[in-house]
Amino acid sequence: MVPEIGHFALALALALALVQSVLPIAGASRGNAVWMKSAQATAIGQVLFVAIAFAALMQAFIVSDFTVRNVVENSHSLKPMLYKVAGTWGSHEGSLLLWILILAVFGAGVAWFGSNIPAETKARTLSVQAWISVGFLSFLLLTSNPFERVFPPPLDGNDLNPLLQDMGLAMHPPLLYFGYVGFSIVFSFAVAALLEGRVDPAWARWVRPWTLAAWVSLTAGIALGSWWAYYELGWGGWWFWDPVENVSFMPWLLGTALLHSAIVTEKRDAFKSWTILLAILTFSLSLLGTFIVRSGLLTSVHAFAVDPERGVYILGLLAVSIGGSLALYAWRAPEMEPGGLFRPISREAGLLVNNLILAAATGTVLFGTLYPLILEAITGDKISVGPPFFNAAFIPMMLALVVFMGLGPFLSWKRADIAGLLDRIRFVVVLAFIAALAAWYLLNGGPIMAYLAILGAAWLLFATLREWALRIRLFEVPLAESARRARNLPRASHGMTLAHAGVAVLMMGMIGSTGWKSEEIVFAAPGTEVTIAGFDITFEGATQVQGPNYIADRGTLVVRRDGELVTTLFPERRYYPVAESQTTESAIRSTLAGDLYTSIATPASDQVNNAGAWTLRILYEPLVNLIWIGSILLVIGGCLSLSDRRLRVGAPRRAKQPASDAVPAE
Amino acid sequence: MIWGIFVLLTLVAIGIVLYPLLLSKSNTLTRGDAVPAILADQMREIQRDMDRGLISEQEAQAARLEIKKRILATTRNSEEKAGSSRNGGRVTLVVAAVLAPVIAAGYYLTMGSPEVPSMAFAARAEERAQTDEVTALAIQLRERLVSDPTGGPSEGWMLLGQTYQRMGRTVDAVEAFEVVAKREDATSATFSMLAEAVAVANDGVVIPRAKLAIDRALELDPSNPAATYFESLYHLQKEETRKAYDLLVSRLNQEKTFVPWMETYVLQINRIAAAADLPVVNLPSGPTSPPGPSAADVATASEMNDADRAEFIRSMVSRLAERLEDEPDDLDGWMRLANAYTVLEEPDRAVEAYRKAEALLEQQPASDPRRAAVRAALERLGG
Repeated sequence: MVPEIGHFALALALALALVQSVLPIAGASRGNAVWMKSAQATAIGQVLFVAIAFAALMQAFIVSDFTVRNVVENSHSLKPMLYKVAGTWGSHEGSLLLWILILAVFGAGVAWFGSNIPAETKARTLSVQAWISVGFLSFLLLTSNPFERVFPPPLDGNDLNPLLQDMGLAMHPPLLYFGYVGFSIVFSFAVAALLEGRVDPAWARWVRPWTLAAWVSLTAGIALGSWWAYYELGWGGWWFWDPVENVSFMPWLLGTALLHSAIVTEKRDAFKSWTILLAILTFSLSLLGTFIVRSGLLTSVHAFAVDPERGVYILGLLAVSIGGSLALYAWRAPEMEPGGLFRPISREAGLLVNNLILAAATGTVLFGTLYPLILEAITGDKISVGPPFFNAAFIPMMLALVVFMGLGPFLSWKRADIAGLLDRIRFVVVLAFIAALAAWYLLNGGPIMAYLAILGAAWLLFATLREWALRIRLFEVPLAESARRARNLPRASHGMTLAHAGVAVLMMGMIGSTGWKSEEIVFAAPGTEVTIAGFDITFEGATQVQGPNYIADRGTLVVRRDGELVTTLFPERRYYPVAESQTTESAIRSTLAGDLYTSIATPASDQVNNAGAWTLRILYEPLVNLIWIGSILLVIGGCLSLSDRRLRVGAPRRAKQPASDAVPAE
Repeated sequence: MIWGIFVLLTLVAIGIVLYPLLLSKSNTLTRGDAVPAILADQMREIQRDMDRGLISEQEAQAARLEIKKRILATTRNSEEKAGSSRNGGRVTLVVAAVLAPVIAAGYYLTMGSPEVPSMAFAARAEERAQTDEVTALAIQLRERLVSDPTGGPSEGWMLLGQTYQRMGRTVDAVEAFEVVAKREDATSATFSMLAEAVAVANDGVVIPRAKLAIDRALELDPSNPAATYFESLYHLQKEETRKAYDLLVSRLNQEKTFVPWMETYVLQINRIAAAADLPVVNLPSGPTSPPGPSAADVATASEMNDADRAEFIRSMVSRLAERLEDEPDDLDGWMRLANAYTVLEEPDRAVEAYRKAEALLEQQPASDPRRAAVRAALERLGG
């Protein structure tokens, strides 16, 4: 009964979405207040019904109701409860349902909190959001019904890929989708503005909290996915330029550009057309990502759904939404009034360069991701575009970006005072060079690119701190006065400082773990010793252990440094009999200085000379944890910015406490 | 209950669509109100920045001027639109409130399965126990048959084969049927069941081994409906659609009254008809006789694939027993039932069934080999 309630609730959600896609926008163009207001109730109703459906599906997973085909195919009665719950969004159907739920949540969010948005704009925005809902709800109901029933039910399910039985992965899709799909509302705002024919600072301010919210969760989602790959896949890498990673990274890059471009629109009434275009393209890339992953176009760890029919449907949705919005843009954008003027050296110009670099970087990733697919479609040749391409094309661009990132906050709007600027950054530049040279002297070796990156990261970190220090007049006025100034700075300003510093920290983690990584792969019989990065590791053999739903070979590695015991690591190779598959559970000694990463593979017993030997993989990755710490700083920075009074959705519009307000810079 | 909840959800949906009718007319926020509020806020920001010394007096002046221009522009724009707000269109809202549930119900009634119950894993302990029991019974039956010095009765092997078939262990089923197929007493049904098991084991493809069994089955009994069905399937898979179609239709037309296997036939005929643009047939109406475990019946069951693991040996036996209550003259039926009870180690019931068969055998010629078989069996059972 419960699955049927879920099914029916989805049908009602589609019906409400249909109403919402027509009435409010018609009301906006005819000046009918009742029709416009209907958007609020239907948007909240949609989230209600989709949530009922989602809860119904989750209930089916929790109690292992094998009358639901989706549960049969993606669950098993013996699975740990946490992964039964996560199984709800583990499948193609379930993940789409989650996609739609988040779409509805953002629509309802605007309906609920957007009390400062004029009725017309809100009505148009919510109608456009409903168009997307209609597209995806019909896709779900017609091609990928999560509530398809099986009767009589089989006795048990077919399990879920044990690779996916991981906490990081359980949380990964929801967060990633939150970001991905969150950009839908920004897209809807942009299309509504095009339909309305007006983009102004007010519009930019209404959109900004939503952009930030989507950006924060996408950042968290990508970081979590990377963290998962690092711990679970057993390869010791945190980013593989895998197409599935790329499709989440592209909206992030463009979303970052959008975030900055919207500031210019809000503060200076400029970059209007560009902001709109970015809003459209960011969500288009999210759609493209959904299409690439969900159509089964790729074969990778993440792409579980393989079904060309569904692919064609999504392709149709993609063509209509991207093509339609771009056509609308081509038609309406030229009519927009040009905004404020600015000089070549100004905050606007800095943000423009940042935008261009981010857009070019997105283009690079897009090319690298799609090229193999297109080539295969045309010539049938299968090639893979991997890290060498991305590293060569992407890293120099990012270094250029970092230069401007450090510089930007020093610039003032409209026209910047060059002499003053040079005066302020001189000290930072010298400091950054000293840091890079010190690294060169101390580390003695490593790729030249890495030293350039160190220079860049140091520049960014020092410039960000310097800019913050200037604002609070650190060491220029008494410390108490500086503290008072820091308290008075708007949260968005602190948010920027934290996020930019986060990027610098992140970079250091990336540089350390790629430039100075040491790796050993050995065939080891018990008693073998391996020395890596100052650690002496003794392999004491492996034993077989029984887990709740797997059998594992567990290796014992004793780690010593200068003869003293540091720790003992137990990497495992697990075998899941129901799913007939294997996973690697790496064992890691994690410190801020670096990770000692060990994994074990099946014994090489078939090899005559190595009978009883095991394949061990031991890595030392310096500073790798800075990647996650930097990501956390990015997320906290974003959240701080989001909590800024001016952006807080639904906050009273007329400020009463001047002390807690803003400077025109973040 | 489920329909009650559907009605409740529908009412909520209708309420949601009609909700704007309840709202007061005045609280519409227009652009003319919203935008100046933001611009005024920006003005105050400039003042604060200047007070804190973040920007110079001239910069503040320039910024103020710019924002003032924006305020003017906004006011101008909103004046153009003023007075255009209407509150009509209530009828449209009501129409939408009616249409929305109609769309949802229309979709659900075609695509939903309200009749399918939910079954939590925890609530299905009994079913699992039964399945375990069947598995145990099958093992037991197999042990008895294998250890029997005479090779075990053919009926026992057939029963084992059918049980395996229902459990989805098609390869084991083929093995069991083949034991009987090599014997003298193999009937047409033996071969058609073998053919079916071989086909199912090969993803439904009638491979040459299955075709051989079909030929043997039709040789022994040209009217065997299951054998004809698989013969037709064989031709269909060779893309001899017309032949496949004709075979089924002519066999169907031989029957005067309704028999259960016809449903499967009609389904298959119409499936072929739809694909090849041939005339469809209707199910001949007639008294629905209680379904017995005919070969075609089993074919239907296995067509449903894993759909019927829940049915097994015991229910088959009791179905046979039930049918025999209505058709007490079915000599072979009683023989099969008696054999099944013997295998299931229920000697009292076996004796009872053999006695029924014995009574019917009175009318048969004395040379009938079944007389001897029944006598021997009764002696073994001490009846």
